Amino acid sequence: MKLAFFQGCNIPIRIEQYAVSATAVLNKLGVELEVIDEFTCCGYPVRNVDEKAYILPSIRNLAIAEKAGLDIMVICNCCFASLQKAISMAAGNPALAEELNEVLAKDGLHYSGSVTVKHFLTVLHDDIGLEAIRKQLTGMVSDLSLSVIHGCHVLRPREVTKFDDSFVPKITDELLALTGAASLDWNGKLECCGAPLAGLNSEVAEALLNEKVDGALSAGAEFIMPICSYCHLQFDTTQPNIRDQHADQRVLPTLLMPQLLGLCLGIDPKILGLEQNTTIDAGHVEQIKTKLGPPVEKKKKKKKRKQKVSA
Amino acid sequence: MKVLVGVALLVFLAGISYRIYGWITHTILSEDGTAGPDRLSAAVKALLSTLFSGKLATVVKTFFTDVLLQRRLLTKSPLRWVAHSLIFFGFIALLLMHGLGVGFSEFLFDDYQSTVQPFITLRNLFALMVLVGLGIAVFRRLTDKPQRVKSLASDWGALAFVGAIIVSGILLESSKIASYDAFLVMAEDYGDMTDAEELLPLETYWAAEHGLVSPNVTKPYDAALVEEGSEIHADTCMDCHAPMASAFVSFPTAKVVGPISAALGDAGTVTALFWLHILCCVGLLAYLPFSKMFHVIATPVSLLINGVMGFKEPGSDPANVLNRRMIGLSACTHCGACSELCSSLMYYESFQNDFILPSEKVQVLKKIASGQSVDQATLDNLQKGLYICTSCDRCSEVCPSGINLRELFISSRYKLLHQGLPETSMWSHFSFPLSLARDFVDDHKRALEKLETIFATSFAKLKDLTAITVSDPVQVGTDSYQSCYSCQRCTNICPVVRLYENPAEKLDMLPHQIIYSLGIGNKDVAVGSQMIWSCSTCYLCQEHCPNEVELTDIFYNLKNEAIRKIEGGRA
Repeated sequence: MKLAFFQGCNIPIRIEQYAVSATAVLNKLGVELEVIDEFTCCGYPVRNVDEKAYILPSIRNLAIAEKAGLDIMVICNCCFASLQKAISMAAGNPALAEELNEVLAKDGLHYSGSVTVKHFLTVLHDDIGLEAIRKQLTGMVSDLSLSVIHGCHVLRPREVTKFDDSFVPKITDELLALTGAASLDWNGKLECCGAPLAGLNSEVAEALLNEKVDGALSAGAEFIMPICSYCHLQFDTTQPNIRDQHADQRVLPTLLMPQLLGLCLGIDPKILGLEQNTTIDAGHVEQIKTKLGPPVEKKKKKKKRKQKVSA
Repeated sequence: MKVLVGVALLVFLAGISYRIYGWITHTILSEDGTAGPDRLSAAVKALLSTLFSGKLATVVKTFFTDVLLQRRLLTKSPLRWVAHSLIFFGFIALLLMHGLGVGFSEFLFDDYQSTVQPFITLRNLFALMVLVGLGIAVFRRLTDKPQRVKSLASDWGALAFVGAIIVSGILLESSKIASYDAFLVMAEDYGDMTDAEELLPLETYWAAEHGLVSPNVTKPYDAALVEEGSEIHADTCMDCHAPMASAFVSFPTAKVVGPISAALGDAGTVTALFWLHILCCVGLLAYLPFSKMFHVIATPVSLLINGVMGFKEPGSDPANVLNRRMIGLSACTHCGACSELCSSLMYYESFQNDFILPSEKVQVLKKIASGQSVDQATLDNLQKGLYICTSCDRCSEVCPSGINLRELFISSRYKLLHQGLPETSMWSHFSFPLSLARDFVDDHKRALEKLETIFATSFAKLKDLTAITVSDPVQVGTDSYQSCYSCQRCTNICPVVRLYENPAEKLDMLPHQIIYSLGIGNKDVAVGSQMIWSCSTCYLCQEHCPNEVELTDIFYNLKNEAIRKIEGGRA
């Protein structure tokens, strides 16, 4: 399977390790990714300013993928939501689609709606499949507690994102279960990291971020695992910036899904770029490595449990 | 001629000095930068510390890969690289071998003469290289679609100047090949032949073989005379005059130019073309420091700095940061590579503001730095253009001249925000990477406060309403607000409302109140409520609404309207 890798604006310059680790994991699992230079911003940054200006870039990016004959894979939730929103807007409003296509015509592009947008997690969960990933595991962690924060824009509005059950999402936890890590049930799992207000309403943005960090810490998290690139930057860049000023506030290290999954697939931690995360140092990497052991067959346990239930 | 060259050289040197002086004195929008002497000493210090550190190898490597071989251009666009290489290497080779023939070529080759091989063919080859390169450049500027980056007079001027030098040179050589007067002079100088009858065989031979346009011999040529002329040629001319067919560009051209030049009087034509060629050359020399051709000096400097420093770290010495900014401005060739890959490309289409494109921002910043006056409307557009930027840094990565555009834009952005109108784009997510970078925390805060002030005074507030009136349904992109049945689930689940002891006071209106106000047809208080700018867009309200009211989408619509109203109020 080959997909056009839509990285957005934040990942290539600010979270390169997310792209590199995701690519390493997918390559290992037989998925090929192509980075297309012509992709531009998804449109999300202007959503507060003008709705049409928000949709146009995504329509163009979809048209570029269409021309390349590839479906799109996205990591960033906000890019994902923008592309999905553009698809649903164009489908529901042919006049708008036509108007935007007129702009695209200047570049010899046309959007017809034949491209599918997949989230990185969906590619892992649905296209590759849990069993296929399990077969490739070279290790699993034990005793590692994580707080996943899904990020809002991949889950909601569900009619647009079409990602997972928006109230009880299961994709992330099922993928994490492969690694052996414990995904904590905690308050902030489905809530906002504050990023959409960062730089325009810092008071609320920082309050929301602190609330999540404190919530994850009090739930017993050793790491926080953001899915969205915006969430990642909140936890990995803004968090140390605002919390380091207070001696009593701990900084929660940030770990990315493909970094952990990559470790369990036997990929070199250097390639996975763990220490490129601002909040992770060599000590944290050691901490994870010591928890990494050979993969454990979980099926037997399940069978036993079932037998117990039936008995 | 010496006087002309001398004057041009003086102008050139004075111009170069002036431009380099600009590197260490100019600022953008009266930055509180350090004074000239400090900036000079900072530059010299940086230069010395680079030379006497381990970075010398980087400098040498950058010089070959980035400056001479234009690696950055090659990775961006092979076609442009071909055009640039053809023009650059063709022109430099011509300059060294032909322009500076007396000094340079004679030094390298004992037997250098412009009339022998391989110099004739090389001269033509180099000229052809430049012409083909120019052709590609012109073709690209004319046919690149869509033409978001418009070619300016200065862009065409530079191409035209170089083209004029080459074309006048080719015409000059062609007219000389055909010139009967030149033939007579040479026959006398080298063969001591003046008598018309004595000259006839050689003249016939030159007309038949070497492109001479003679008033005395015409086709068909007498074979016996040609044969006889060929022998005289072998005795007297051949040693220091190669066959003119080796001028593979000028020789065919001479077939067209020759007859015209003969009709006009070939001695006069040759002289006129000679002066035209010289004027073009010295003209370019004198004009170079004041045109975009100054990039031949500034761009290598910019590329070397980039090779040593990259663009991600601004550098520790503010004086040198300023210096690099100014060098960067003069290194821009307005090639448009940055704009083609700009992440904000489609915002240019939506907002029709030239200054969203990085290459166009640089053009106006150049003007500002050199002290030219720029009108307020342009500055307003520039401010917005500088803000509508995703901070993806692709422009700095692709710039073939190695300009640190990111640093240039960020610093200018805050200068303008400080002086200019409240910037409504600050309420977009373009603010996110700026808040992450924390480079201009106080400037950002001040600029944001300006916007908050104008927002606070532009709209009626709920608490100011004296009576509640019911009006017609409002347009907010959806009618779903009409389904609200007042359960207040939205407000109860809102993570922002939850933050405050007294949310109504902080937020003006709570989510359900906004939906109520739309329900009774009052959109103004909704648009003016702080709630919409405190909404984290988490969509929890919309997802949990039992009647599928699209709250978050409605809030986006209200935000769009608030910005439109503030922008509209300025007109």
